[in-house]
Amino acid sequence: MEFFIYFLILVLALLGTPIFVVMSAFALTAFSFADIELAAVPIEIYRLAAAPTLLTIPLFTFAGYIMAESGSPNRIFRLTQAALGWLPGGVAIVSLVICAFFTAFTGASGVTIIALGGLLYPILIKEGFSEKFTLGIITTSGSLGLLFPPSLPIILYGLVAKVDIDKLFLAGIVPGILLIAILSLWAIKNGAKSPATERTKFSTEELKAAIWGARYEIPLPILVLTGIYGGYTTASEASAFTAAYVILIECILYKDLSIRKDLPRIVNDSMTLVGAILLILCCALGMTNYLVDEEIPMKILEFMKTQIDSQVVFLIYLNIFLLIVGALMDIFSAIVIVVPLIVPIANAFGVHPIHLAIIFLTNLEIGYITPPVGINLFISSFRFKKPVTTLYRASLPYLVLLLIALIIITYVPALSLFWFE
Amino acid sequence: MTSIIQKADQALDRFCQITLVVAVALMLSLTLLNIVLRWIGHSILWVEPFVRHLVFLAAFLGGSLAASRNSHIGIDIVSKILEARGSEKGLKILCLITAAASMIVVAWLAWASWEFMLSELEFGQEAFLGIHSGILVGIMPLGFAIIALRFLAVVTTLGKPSGKDITGS
Repeated sequence: MEFFIYFLILVLALLGTPIFVVMSAFALTAFSFADIELAAVPIEIYRLAAAPTLLTIPLFTFAGYIMAESGSPNRIFRLTQAALGWLPGGVAIVSLVICAFFTAFTGASGVTIIALGGLLYPILIKEGFSEKFTLGIITTSGSLGLLFPPSLPIILYGLVAKVDIDKLFLAGIVPGILLIAILSLWAIKNGAKSPATERTKFSTEELKAAIWGARYEIPLPILVLTGIYGGYTTASEASAFTAAYVILIECILYKDLSIRKDLPRIVNDSMTLVGAILLILCCALGMTNYLVDEEIPMKILEFMKTQIDSQVVFLIYLNIFLLIVGALMDIFSAIVIVVPLIVPIANAFGVHPIHLAIIFLTNLEIGYITPPVGINLFISSFRFKKPVTTLYRASLPYLVLLLIALIIITYVPALSLFWFE
Repeated sequence: MTSIIQKADQALDRFCQITLVVAVALMLSLTLLNIVLRWIGHSILWVEPFVRHLVFLAAFLGGSLAASRNSHIGIDIVSKILEARGSEKGLKILCLITAAASMIVVAWLAWASWEFMLSELEFGQEAFLGIHSGILVGIMPLGFAIIALRFLAVVTTLGKPSGKDITGS
């Protein structure tokens, strides 16, 4: 009977039942069979209401959604185009930078591809890049920037693994730049190769005009970072400040959006995503507690210690495992389910908790474009009306490049840790 | 019967949307107020726990919108395959199965958290602003009950021959 119910839950999970329902069903069933009061499950769920940095999740997401709906993408595009467009492959690099910026604020939820894809696709094609290159770069860029503050996956990781979010924000910056740099080199190579690609001439006038155009957006990342690292605000307060600032510039200064007409809709759209993520988070608290009670991570660790004797070998296995997880699961469920299992094991192998976070998030970022089920492949397929197999081929070179970056990030811990040593 | 459920569902949708806007506005303004007050050496102690409970409430209300928009996060490989093959009937059946299963499990959660709330009302204490901890715990049975009703509405809509298409969101 017990086995049958677990099997049924597994089948429902594979059919696409919401992950939070699957995890709750698992927890409720497990507690029922163990004759523990079912109130144990909501007691665990209620622990979410005590999480200290909880507020950052709705407010940063809300701010990101407002920006994506406003004229910000156009203004920031113009700015990066004026600053970097003169490079060979310049427009492609511009696309990478602007997508990274938006992903950092919208949390790699597919908003980047939906909001920016329509803007960038025709421009890249017009500049003479092949369709394959263009589809690949937009699909990949949809999760690029996930390592930059204040991205939602970083916050979630910090909450689940109980690592300081401020430190994670700092640690992700250099590895994030490395990913962009490697993809930019690829863009330069393609840009130089393609005969139709005409370089835009650098113009100081245009740069000045573009800076003026984006004058209210430019201070935002600086204000957020100095607020947090200067010790003026906590991460939660920074999220409130960001949301208020974004409302001020988009609704009052630029007048792109109307407070009465647009904001309520954007609140509801962004909270739909936030609700989906937070329900997974709180229902997972019930399930992971059961797993930890049963000492599952310790059992896995003991088994692994008989197979693996060095940190390097452990990291190789970890990368392979996480790539598979990242390709099968979305990043939020993956963090919530896998992090509590991995953290004690990685700790035993001497991996620094912050380095582990960056390895973890980079792997999951790559998972977004890994066939067969990387979510960005489907979002692009939906957005650009192309068969998903076309997207598999288009993203393959990017997959290889990101794997190279992953190897560097994994085996050079200093990239993530030099701030703290 | 179906139309009553759908009317209730529409009313719930409206309730969730309005409450979410109010909750987000409160989270934002109270936190900002506390930053400003700190500059002049003050702070209101209840703001922080109150805001955290607003986020907790928003999780359930947002989750109820996600339930009716079919945008909860799940392993969607089967639906992607069906979509690629253009099998609308298959998608509908799949959606029906997952929504029905979700409704049952979430109703079970609502019941379990109702029990927790009853014991908290009895043994809990005042948390902040004179609010009893049992009331705060009550967010869970209320939230899960709303989500379960939203899934019920999805099931009844899909069960009708020409139900509105909710699989396309």
